[in-house]
Amino acid sequence: MTAVVLDGIVLGLQFGLLGVGLTLVYGLGGVLNLAHGQLAVLGAIAVWLAIGTGLPVLPAVVVGLAAIGLLGFLLDTTLMRPVYARRGDERVLLGLLLTLGVAFIIDGLLNWRYPIASLNISIGGDPISILGVRMRTGSLLASTIAIAAAGLLLLFFRGTTLGRGVRSVIQDEEGARLVGINPASVRNLIFALSAVLAGLVAVTRSMTSPVSASAGIDFTILALIVAVVGGLGSILGAFVAGILLGIVNTVSSFYIGQYITTIVLLAAAALTILLRPSGLLGRRK
Amino acid sequence: MLEVEELSVGYLGDDVVHGVTLTVAPGEAVAVIGSNGAGKTTLFRGICGLLTASHGRVTFDGEDVSGQPAHKISRRGLAFVPAERHLFPGMTVKENLALGAYPGRPDPATMDFVLSLFPQLADRLSQHAGTMSGGEQQMVAVGRALVSRPRLLLLDEPTTGLAPKLAKAAYEALATLRSEGLTLLLAEQQVPLALDLTDRGYVLENGRVQLESSSEELRRNPEVRRAYLGIT
Amino acid sequence: MRSLVPIALTAAALALVPLWLSDSDFRMGLALEGLLFTAYAIAFNLIFGSTKQLFLCVGALAGVGGYTAAILADRVGLPMLLALVLAAGAAAVTGGLFSWVAVRRSLDVIFTGIITLTFSLAFQNLILGQRNLTGGETGLLVDTGAGTILREPVPAYYVFLGIVVTYLVVFRLLQRSHVGWAFRALRDDEVAAELAGVNVPRYRIYAGLVGSGMLGLAGAFFAFTEGFISASTFSFGHVDIRVLVMVVFGGLGTLLGPVLGATVFSVIDEVLIGVGQLRQVVYGLVVIAFFVGFKHGLVPAIETLVRTIAGRMGARIGTKGD
Repeated sequence: MTAVVLDGIVLGLQFGLLGVGLTLVYGLGGVLNLAHGQLAVLGAIAVWLAIGTGLPVLPAVVVGLAAIGLLGFLLDTTLMRPVYARRGDERVLLGLLLTLGVAFIIDGLLNWRYPIASLNISIGGDPISILGVRMRTGSLLASTIAIAAAGLLLLFFRGTTLGRGVRSVIQDEEGARLVGINPASVRNLIFALSAVLAGLVAVTRSMTSPVSASAGIDFTILALIVAVVGGLGSILGAFVAGILLGIVNTVSSFYIGQYITTIVLLAAAALTILLRPSGLLGRRK
Repeated sequence: MLEVEELSVGYLGDDVVHGVTLTVAPGEAVAVIGSNGAGKTTLFRGICGLLTASHGRVTFDGEDVSGQPAHKISRRGLAFVPAERHLFPGMTVKENLALGAYPGRPDPATMDFVLSLFPQLADRLSQHAGTMSGGEQQMVAVGRALVSRPRLLLLDEPTTGLAPKLAKAAYEALATLRSEGLTLLLAEQQVPLALDLTDRGYVLENGRVQLESSSEELRRNPEVRRAYLGIT
Repeated sequence: MRSLVPIALTAAALALVPLWLSDSDFRMGLALEGLLFTAYAIAFNLIFGSTKQLFLCVGALAGVGGYTAAILADRVGLPMLLALVLAAGAAAVTGGLFSWVAVRRSLDVIFTGIITLTFSLAFQNLILGQRNLTGGETGLLVDTGAGTILREPVPAYYVFLGIVVTYLVVFRLLQRSHVGWAFRALRDDEVAAELAGVNVPRYRIYAGLVGSGMLGLAGAFFAFTEGFISASTFSFGHVDIRVLVMVVFGGLGTLLGPVLGATVFSVIDEVLIGVGQLRQVVYGLVVIAFFVGFKHGLVPAIETLVRTIAGRMGARIGTKGD
């Protein structure tokens, strides 16, 4: 049981890292990025390509994530501009449609050039025992990275001036402008960061199971569910929701089986939304 | 310090403020008085860059800042405290105040000064701003503006939603700031309070300056007395 | 009756399609799929365009209809007509339930979207999991309908044209009725609508019931004409994304927007078959290019254009008259 829950927490941290980018981008500018998972997979494929050129794994991961971050930045400065120029429902709808277009393009390009590509980083070494639970080195490394990334993120948002600046734009954009924060550059930065985080999740996933070029939509849907259950715009909420859903996922697939698990996961998400429409930690507007 | 020339500004192409000219000299306290809907808020939003003017010019410290976005004007040392305050509700009082110094860290002496001006805030530094009363939120808003160490402080209706006693207290704090040499421009419907504090005043009606004079004279002006001081 | 003229013209235009496609069964199949998506799009437009409920379970609701009809007719042995009615009813009840929940919990566009999306995915999993009933990944062969005209390309096309025309008439009648007045008020300004005495929740639920019933019926008919359904026939990626794009492209809440959107994208699909795997890329580019350009969809854009031209001509005639 401990092993299963521990597995769930590790998986959940990855869910959280995936959802937090989506939640931040939505909180800052009202764009629900439907290409989020595609960016994650593109990051993984970029790493795969970099490894293919003969780079060692670590530099390849750095290069791949930098590339995906740059792409995120460029998307926000170009394609998202007309979205931010609109208000209310219109902004939300246009944001959905344009990022959906991006998702099509990324999926299409990957399917065309690298239909069978998949990233599978294998970490050697013997299983290590933690809290009496034997863990494979790959999943241990993935967990360490996820924990470190989540910790760094929370530190960034709670403890640095820039991080607080980002939160201030989510809470009151006009107030942020009045203290000298440029919301547009905050959005640029966070879109890029969210793409890097998505890529990072794909890379850590690839340490335990292969990430294929067509996995984009699955990542997107997972991110959506995590972000909505946690409360759109809530950083901590994304992690809480991620960990809860992670535990639900592993416990149910251990005791009930994989096919029902997806349904259980979806039902848990739907139930949370119905009981608390603003999400676990979302603020009511 | 601040020159506003022939400024016209409004929403979605409809001007609310028409060709307003006003100046504020260093060290001065200036009031813009007028009834609800006279265009005071729109004028202030135009000055601090939250709205883009359709016509006219704003010069701050000898530099033309017309058309610059709010965050740039704020970093030049012009702080605006809006009537709705626009605090960050999910952050603590301390975080709200500290963000005034963005992108830097707050200067400890300034923080101490703000807390001496509003002693109530000192005990509540870790309370979330969204859970505070109107009067306390107003203190945080003014405090946040002060932490940026502004050279000019713009206040829009600082007494909005405050009980008379709290409104008076707010003006006492503003008087302290004046005596410290801070330049002030404020919009107010509570005309007596505003005219007691300031050196000069402008009367705004239907988006135009109707009258401009020393606060002393405005207090004696029969029309001002009838319209805004409730004296017949 | 004048309000039915655009529908009659559309029907006449679509009725001519088999004249130059009937020599190719493959192309007739594509045309039929175009009409199926038109039917989906009209139903989705009724739900989302008229009452702002973002149902991301168009495929799943059609699937409820499709699988219900196929299982009731093939396994239980019910007559085809009864199976169709029950299939439409099952979908209507499911969709109506979502509307009821969304109204009760006052969920906004995004939350309604997410709830219905989770249903889509859960439904997909259910279909794949309940192998002995649904055939799982291999799909389900449908015997009912075999040997009837439903399996012949041209007659089947006209059956679906009949469905599309019926849906358009239903949409227009609803638009013109008291209900439609409420829908319009709802679309323009919900608060004002409520103040004017429109029972907003009730109309949302009506729209959810009727629209979902239409989806279920279309899915059920498709099961009988195609003779084969599978999870991917009704998947989110295959149905919902395309329907959303079609309707928004054509013009949300307009009568002919869904028809136009579905037609344009069916033609694009056909043209792009040559490009093979790059089809999806081009699709994405088209979506982005159009939505950056037109913000309210094609039908309103055309209307504005026509009005501008008519206005100019009117102005010129006016000047001459002076």
